[in-house]
Amino acid sequence: MPQIIFAVLILCAALFAKDPSDTKKYDIDLSRMSGTMVYGQVNQMVMYPQKYIGKHIRMKGIFSSYYDEELERRFYGCVIQDALACCSQGLAFEVAIPRRYPKEYPAEGDLITVEGDFDYEKDEGGGGFPIIRKATLSNQ
Amino acid sequence: MPELLEKLSFYLDFPFVRYAIIVGVLVSLCSSLLGVTLVLKRYSYIGDGLSHVAFGALSIAAVLKITNNMLLILPVTIAVAVLLLCTGKNARIKGDAAIAMVSVGALAIGYLLMNVFSTSANISGDVCTTLFGSTSILTLRIEEVYLCVALSIAVLAVFILFYHKIFAITFDENFAQATGVNTTIFNLLIAVIVAVIIVLAMNLVGALLVSALVVFPSLSAMRVFKSFFAVTVASAVISVVCSLIGIVVAILAGTPVGSTIVAADIVAFGLFYSISLIQSKGV
Repeated sequence: MPQIIFAVLILCAALFAKDPSDTKKYDIDLSRMSGTMVYGQVNQMVMYPQKYIGKHIRMKGIFSSYYDEELERRFYGCVIQDALACCSQGLAFEVAIPRRYPKEYPAEGDLITVEGDFDYEKDEGGGGFPIIRKATLSNQ
Repeated sequence: MPELLEKLSFYLDFPFVRYAIIVGVLVSLCSSLLGVTLVLKRYSYIGDGLSHVAFGALSIAAVLKITNNMLLILPVTIAVAVLLLCTGKNARIKGDAAIAMVSVGALAIGYLLMNVFSTSANISGDVCTTLFGSTSILTLRIEEVYLCVALSIAVLAVFILFYHKIFAITFDENFAQATGVNTTIFNLLIAVIVAVIIVLAMNLVGALLVSALVVFPSLSAMRVFKSFFAVTVASAVISVVCSLIGIVVAILAGTPVGSTIVAADIVAFGLFYSISLIQSKGV
């Protein structure tokens, strides 16, 4: 009898165990949230970046980029709009494996998913901005 | 359904969602209490006028780069509320005309200032979110939550302490005066409370939708209940429930918070109107 119970338990454990691909954890998965929630959460990350440094993040949004002539650097961003579509919040990202722009990047306005580690980059003026580092980028 | 509950419980883990719910409940409770008095005194539209004044003051605060904009918005809104509510019958420009003038004037000046002395890269976004309160309640700082809690407690305390006096001047100001109630002081008190509530409610539903928080719960309650006390209690319950439903639906479905709350208020009004029709046919 104990052997049967043990076998049933093993079978149940096997049945209810999650697929290893499903157990991939994000500290903050913005892609699971509604637009209103994403807007609120990204606002928190922009306002209080210190709380989120090192967290693994996934977000879905619109691809955007701009070239800063002073810094001679191109910035890439994942932008989300609020429910009224009049305001937008976004996070800059830096891909883990360098790509060539524009060839290997999505087109402006394309829907993208970005995964990576949250960080805060300080600039020379004493300010700074949040950025997702070691990011993987997928175009949808 | 279990998926929705799971999602809701996931969202409730975020502090900013809890702040939104706390502020939403408090603001809707306070606005509904005073809403009954304002509707009965024929000042239903004052919420709209004062919220536009608050918007104008917000623009001035942005132009002057005042960090804590409440320091300017609250006194300006209170001053205009006192002017509108306390000048009464002696005013050269009477009630509704004065409210209309102040409302559009403040809105226009606010927008003009925001455009001429632009301090933001996204003016239309700032204006849009202030007027319609799309997400402002989800971007509250803890200090703003504390301020809202303190002001709400003050409003509730004043309402409970002076309930009988407010009741008297709501229904018959002349009679109240004849019985020894200092109507000038109490009108002033109501004006100050209304201004505080309007400023608080701007964060919840935005300037353009503030009137809905003041008017809808009271009118819904008045369809079914007949005594001042019953209408006040029912109005408070309806307002809080609609705000909770509005906030929850907005975060689950990704809709704008302010207009979702007002939509819930409209549904409640339809429901209470139907109940009143059934009641009258039954009698």
